[in-house]
This record gives sequence, structure tokens and C-alpha cells, in this order.
Amino acid sequence: MSAAVIEFRNVTKVYQRLFSDERVEALSDVSFDANAGEVCAFLGPNGAGKTTSISILMGFQFANSGAIRVLGFEPGDVRAKEQIGFLPENFAFYRYLTGPKLLHMHRALAGQRAAGDDALIAGLLAKVKLNGYEKLKIGKYSRGMVQRLGIAQALLCNPQLVILDEPTSGLDPAGRKEVLQILAALKAQGKTVFLSSHILPEVEQICDRVIIIDRGKLVRTGRLNDMLGSGDRVEIVVDRLPAELEQILAERGAVFERGPQAVRIGLEASRKREIAESLWAAGCDVISINPVRSTLEELFLETVDKKGAAS
Amino acid sequence: MKIRAIAWNTFNALLRNKIIILFCAGFVCVLLLMMTPLLVARASRGTQTQEQMQAMVLPLIGAIMAMVSGFGSLLAAWAAADAVSGEMKSGTILAVMARPVRRWEFLLGKYVGVQLLMVVYALAMLGLNYLMASIGGASIQAAPWLLVIYPLVRYAVFSAVAIFLVTVMHPMFAFGIVLVMSIAAQIVAPSAAPPSWLPAWLRTGVFYALPSTGLLSEIRFLTITRATLKTAPWTDHLTALAYGLDYALVCFLLAVWLFRKRSLSRD
Repeated sequence: MSAAVIEFRNVTKVYQRLFSDERVEALSDVSFDANAGEVCAFLGPNGAGKTTSISILMGFQFANSGAIRVLGFEPGDVRAKEQIGFLPENFAFYRYLTGPKLLHMHRALAGQRAAGDDALIAGLLAKVKLNGYEKLKIGKYSRGMVQRLGIAQALLCNPQLVILDEPTSGLDPAGRKEVLQILAALKAQGKTVFLSSHILPEVEQICDRVIIIDRGKLVRTGRLNDMLGSGDRVEIVVDRLPAELEQILAERGAVFERGPQAVRIGLEASRKREIAESLWAAGCDVISINPVRSTLEELFLETVDKKGAAS
Repeated sequence: MKIRAIAWNTFNALLRNKIIILFCAGFVCVLLLMMTPLLVARASRGTQTQEQMQAMVLPLIGAIMAMVSGFGSLLAAWAAADAVSGEMKSGTILAVMARPVRRWEFLLGKYVGVQLLMVVYALAMLGLNYLMASIGGASIQAAPWLLVIYPLVRYAVFSAVAIFLVTVMHPMFAFGIVLVMSIAAQIVAPSAAPPSWLPAWLRTGVFYALPSTGLLSEIRFLTITRATLKTAPWTDHLTALAYGLDYALVCFLLAVWLFRKRSLSRD
């Protein structure tokens, strides 16, 4: 089993105004882990507590209770930060600097200035498609260019852990695809990526682990394959379905989708054997029986809706 | 390397600050207006005596000294408050603090950046004094270091106080408090005439709590009518400057202590 790069245990964070009784519980007893080499998607609706959690991980804010370790250190420890590349949500830059100057400054802040910095920075800018804009001040960048520069600075010092808060925000579809390719390359290099995003179909393509929080509470966490594969429904495809059998199956909770050459029958996985035998007995040709794998988006909506209904 | 990078970036940001640029433009306009009679007198030198020229230039030097003394301290306080709070407000602090930078290193970098700006300011004012004196045919007989070091120590104190305050409050409040402090320090100074409504115990208490701008003023060594410095023993300078640096250090350490647990989310 891989070592946990992020350990977030029973973390509670309460915001309280000075001289006021007004309390907002941003995180309530939230626990999760992210293992080395994993791409971990941190999901939740707006206001769920994602940015607060990330701020606590980075040492920008402090939890009221709980235990947090990042790369084996306390959040905010410089030994951990030496190995972290971070992209905050709505990244802000010094508008008077150019892209290369900003990256040079970040190399200095990391204490890693070296002779080959120019080539490294040129390579990174090319990677995020910002080559050709070296002389342009950041104040004149578009939203998408700023986001690309943010990704470049996150990758600047060869981090072991990359924490990205909405990395595809402000990017066009091509830009989002490029970011996904960069993340896939990081995964291939064995880096750990922890990202929050609202664009779930894209996240689904690369992530290994999913953490879903809602209203400050952990709703669901686990490996993506386990979570999507844990669907409790199957689909049986048959060449035809007699009307009398359709009625019987409908009473057992099955749903039907009639096509020109086949009929798809959706049903609970626990009844698949019984229903398949009924179909065979009725002379139907069973073409296939497949587990119904939901998408991350469906899983997310189902999880969050269930939570909302329960509360 | 980290502190130098933050300091240099802070200095660059302050040089591009719209309020500072606006102030500089206003200052140049006022200065040109003040210099006009002096330049006219210099052009018609035949009709002006040396004494008349000096009589014109000395008030100008006095005004510049007042700028160095009073306005400089407030500029230092404002720049320090803005340098820290501006990063918090814009969110640029998050990218900086995501790097292996300790919180005290960040604050120190900001503080040094402000001091760089104030060095430029003090040197510019000193140069202006010498320029005025040379146009007016007067000479400033003073050790230039004294006219730079004293203001810089005073600026160090006020910027440290501002950084301390801005770690716990809005920059406008922090600046307002520094402004009130600087006025109160003048009122409670032993050399000032005490207001009748102010009890002696309160005056003494406030005098000890606030930075002594009188002690840290180069003007106490300067006879402005002659533009020369009074001589003072080196121990006097040492004590005054050490007091100022100590005050600044205490305020800065308090700021570091408060900033240690400050939430860095956008204000």
C-alpha cells in the first residue's frame, strides 16, 4: 500500500467573527487521505469547503481541531512546501511582471535559482502554450493565459505533490484538454496530484481517487473504479421481449429500452440471475449482461442529492 | 535569496503604486511653484544680494526638511501597511506563501522593500536640499549621513508600527492610528507646550509608549536659519538611533508574532 502523502484526519474549521456569536462551520470532522502517485479529485458543490480544506493543507488557515500531515510534515512547514506545487483558485499575479520574470521570482522564492533557469522557464512556458508572450506584462494577459501561467508556476520546481484548485477554470476546451494532458504526464511520472474541479467528465479521465464533500462534511471517498463499479444495477440485452414477460419484469422493477434490433432491460443486480433464467425460459436470446457503470458526474450528483435530501 | 526577492518585488510594486506616483507628481508641481521666485531671482542676480537669495532659499530648505520629517514617516507607514494588506487583498500572497517561505521571511521582505523605498525618498530629499542651497548660493554645513540616517530610523519605526497594526486590522485603520500616534507624539513631547486638559501622568505615559519623534529628529541638530548642524557627541547619536532601532525591532517582532497565526485568505 502506498504511503499517504496527505493525511487529513477529523478536521473541523469554524469561522467566527470577532465580537459576534455568528459561527459558520466550514468543515466538520472531515477525514481523507491521498496516496503517493495518485491523482485525487476533491469534489463538492460551491461552498462545500474545498478551498478551506486546501487552505488548511497549505498552512494558509488553521483548523480548530484535527490532525493534518502533508508529505509527513505539518501544513505550512517549509520542508513540505519545498516539494509542493500549488495553484490557488482565481490565481492573482503581480500585474507589472512578465511571465518569465514571475517564474524567475518564484525560483528565487523556492531558493532554487540556478544557471539553467532560463531554459527551464522557456520550456515550461512552451508547455503551457505561453511562448511568444515573454515580453507581455501579466496585467495584459487574458484569464486563460493567467491560468496557464499559474499552472506553469505550480510545476516550476519539480514538485512531488501538485495541489490545484480549479486548474481548468477560465480555459477553453482546448486549454482544458492540454491541462489534462499535463496532469496525465505528472501521473505517469509518479507525482501525486490533488485537484478540485467542477468539470467532472474531464476529472474522471485521469483521477484514481475521489473525495466528495458537501456543506463541510465528507460525503464519500474511495478509489474511482470501486465507486463507479459499485453500481447496483445491470443491463441485460435480449433480441426480443414477449409482452407477457415484460409485464412480469416491470412488476419486479425492470425498465426497458426498445431498439430496432434489441431490447435493453435495466434491473437490480441482485435479480439478474432470476430474470436471465426467466428470459431464457421464455425463449429469448440473451445477447449480453453488463454491469451499469455510472459516470463520475452521476455519482457526484447522486451523492450530493442524497446528502441534501437527508439533511 | 527569498527575503531579497520579496523585498525587491515590494520595492518595484511601490514604485508603480498610483498613490505614490500621484504624490510625486504633486510634489514636483509644488516644488516648481516654490522654486519659481528663486529661479527668477537667480536669473536677475545683479539686483539680488547674496543675503536676499539665502533668505529665499532657507524657507524652501525648511519646507523640504518638514517633508522629510513629517510626511516621510507617514509615507513609510502607509507604504508598509499597503505592502502587506495589498498582497492579502489581491491574493498574490497565496502564491508567495505556497513557496518554502516562512511567515517572518515574508514580513521581513516586505519591511526591507519599504525601507528601500524610503532610502530613495531620503536621498532624493537630501539631494533636493543641496540643489536648493546651491541655487540660492547657500551651503548646508552638515554631515549628510545625519540627514539620511535619522529619517531612515524614524521611517523604520513608523513602518514597523504600521506592519504590526496591519496584521490585525484594516490598513486604513492602521494608517489612521499611525497618524494619530505621530500627532500625539508631538503633543506629549517634553519640548512642546502641554495642553491644559492633558493630565501630567497621561502625558508622561503616552510619551513613553509612543516613539519619540523629537529624539529621532535630525532637526534638533540643525540650525535651519544657517543650514548648519549643531555639534553633538557621538554617544548622543548612538543612544537616539539605538532607541529608534529598538522600538522598530519590538514592533516588527510583535508583527511577526501576530502574523504567525493570521489567516491568509483574501480580505
